[in-house]
Amino acid sequence: MEPGTPLDTDIAIETPEHIVFRHRVAGPARRLLAYLLDLVICYGVLVVIALVAFVVPLGATEAAAKTESLGASVGLVLVMAFAAQWLYFAVLEGWRGTTPGKAAFGLRVLTTTGRPIGFREAALRNVLRAADALPLTYTAGCLSIAGLASMALTRHFQRLGDLAAATIVVLPNRARAVVPLVLWPPAEPQELARLAEVVRLDADQRQSIEMFLRRRAQLGPARELELARMIAPALGARFGVPSADPSRTLALLYDRAASAGRDDAPPSSRTPGSWR
Amino acid sequence: MEIASAPTEAAFVGRRRLDWERLDALVRTTQRRGLGALTPEQVSQFSPLYRDACADLAHSRAVRYGAPLVDYLQGLAVAAHTVLYSSRTRRRSRAAGSWARFALEAFPRAVRRHRVAMGIAFLLFFVPLVAGLLGAIADPAFAVRIVPEAQLRPLVEAYRQGFDAQRGAGVDAAMAGFYVNNNVGIALRCFATGLAFGLGSAFYLVENGLATGAILGYVAAHGAGPNILTFVVGHGSLELGAIGLAGGAGLQLGWSLVAPGDRTRIASLQRAARSVVVVVFGAAAMLLMAAAVEGFWSSSSVPATVKRAVGLVLFGVVTAYIALGGRGADADARHRGEVDRWT
Repeated sequence: MEPGTPLDTDIAIETPEHIVFRHRVAGPARRLLAYLLDLVICYGVLVVIALVAFVVPLGATEAAAKTESLGASVGLVLVMAFAAQWLYFAVLEGWRGTTPGKAAFGLRVLTTTGRPIGFREAALRNVLRAADALPLTYTAGCLSIAGLASMALTRHFQRLGDLAAATIVVLPNRARAVVPLVLWPPAEPQELARLAEVVRLDADQRQSIEMFLRRRAQLGPARELELARMIAPALGARFGVPSADPSRTLALLYDRAASAGRDDAPPSSRTPGSWR
Repeated sequence: MEIASAPTEAAFVGRRRLDWERLDALVRTTQRRGLGALTPEQVSQFSPLYRDACADLAHSRAVRYGAPLVDYLQGLAVAAHTVLYSSRTRRRSRAAGSWARFALEAFPRAVRRHRVAMGIAFLLFFVPLVAGLLGAIADPAFAVRIVPEAQLRPLVEAYRQGFDAQRGAGVDAAMAGFYVNNNVGIALRCFATGLAFGLGSAFYLVENGLATGAILGYVAAHGAGPNILTFVVGHGSLELGAIGLAGGAGLQLGWSLVAPGDRTRIASLQRAARSVVVVVFGAAAMLLMAAAVEGFWSSSSVPATVKRAVGLVLFGVVTAYIALGGRGADADARHRGEVDRWT
C-alpha cells in the first residue's frame, strides 16, 4: 500500500458521468454471516422438498408403484442437492446481483469497475468456492482457509473467486432523503445584531455542527450542553454570538454559514422542517 | 472555499426534490419488477433524470452541502447506475440468439483456443485411465489398491447380470439424479482447484482417470467386460470428454498464474478465467446430457449392438462438434485480424 492512502476499506469508482462513487467494501465477518444465512435458506428449502418428495410416494398402494416413485424422488432430491451446492449462488447473483442472505445483511456483488455482475462473473466466483475451501474439501463448508487468507491479504477483502472474477462485495447504503436544517425559532433581531455578516466555517466544522444539530433531539439536555460547550464558546467569540446557550449559538452560526453569500433567501424565513 | 452563487441547501433541495423522487420511484419499480414494467416514456426519462442526479451530486459535493444530502444523492445515483449499467439490461436485447450462439460457436471455439491445456488434460486423464485398465486386467488386485473392494464387488455383480432385467423408470431417475450430483460436482471441483497453479486439476484428472480405468479393468477381468463396454460407450464420449475439458480449463487457469506474460498475475488470472469459464459452462452442459443418457439409455434393455452403434455415432458427433463448431466465426475473427484473441 502506498503511503498516504487512508486505512479505511472504501473503494472509489468513477462512472462514465465523471461521478466518483464511494463504496464500503464488506468484510469477512458480515459476509460469513450472510453465507451462513444463505446455507440455512437453501438447505432448508432442500429439506422441505425432500420431505414432500419422500412422503408423497408413501401414499401409493401398490408396492411396485411405491418403489417407482420413491426412485424418482431420490433422483429429484439429488438434482436439488446439486442445485443447492452449485447453482443457488451463481443463478441468484447473476440475476439480481445478490442472494437472500446477502440482501439481509445489505450486501451486493459488483465488478471491480463498479458495474453489476453478469452470469459469467457470478458462475465463476461461485464455482471457485471449491478453490477457496482448499485445503479442505468444499463439503467441509464455510471453513474456507484459502478464501480467508486471500481476504486478509487483499485490499478489498476479495476471496479467490472474487479475484478471478474481478468482483467485490460492497455495502451500498441507500440513505433516506433528509430535510435540510432550518433554524427554529427564527433568529431574533438582538441575536442577529452582533452576529458577524459572513460566517466562514471549514468543511469539518460545518459537518460536525450539522451532525450535532441533527442528533441533538436524541441526546438529552445535559449531554447536548456538554457537547455544544466543546466548540461553541470559541466559535461564538470569533463571530460575535454570546454563548449563553451554546446549542443555540451553534444553530445560529450554522444557519448563517449555510445561507451566507448565496443568492436565495435565508432559510430562517421558511416554515420549519425537522428542527424543534 | 465558498461558491458565491450557489443556492442554499434548502432552496436547492426544494427545487430538485421532485426529480429525485421521480428517479427514485423508477429505480424502485425496476428493482422490483424489471425494466419491462416501465412505460416507454418512463424509459426515456430514466437517463436524463440519472444524469441530472449525477450533476446534483457533483454540485452538492463542490459547494459542501450537508453530508446527509450528499449521502442521499450518492445512494440514489448508485442505485440508478446499477439499473442503467446492469449486464441484464444490456443482454436483454439479444437474449434469444445468445444461447444458440453460445452452444454453436462460443463453446467449441473456446475449447480450441485453449487446445494445449485441453490436450494436456486429456493426456493426464486418459493415460492413467489406460494404465489403470491394463493394470486391473492383468491383476485385479491392482484395482483393489485404488478403489475399495466394497465398491468394486457390487459393480461386478451388476454388470454380470446384463441389462435384460429391465429396471424401473424410478431407478433410472434416481441414477440420473446421482450422476448429475456426482459427475458435474467432480468436473466443477476439477476446474476450480486448478486455481492452485493447476495442481488441483492435475490431481483430480489423474485420480479420476486411474480410478475409472481400474473399475473398468476390474469388472472386465471378472468376465463382464462386454457388458460394461456396452454401458459406457453410450455416454462415455460426453462424460469423460467433459471431465477432461473441465480439467483443461483448470490447468489453463493455473498456467495463467504460473506464466502471466507481460500482465500482472491477477490481470492474467482474470483474463484466463473470463475465457475458460465458457468451457466450464459447456462441460457442465455436456455432463447434464451425459447424466440423462447414462440414467435412461445406457442401462436400458436395448440390444448391445444398437447401443454400441449409437455410442460410436455420438462420439463422432461430439468430436466433430468440438473440432469444427463455429469455424465460420473463427474465419471472421481471422479476417478482422483477431487471431486467437481471448474474449
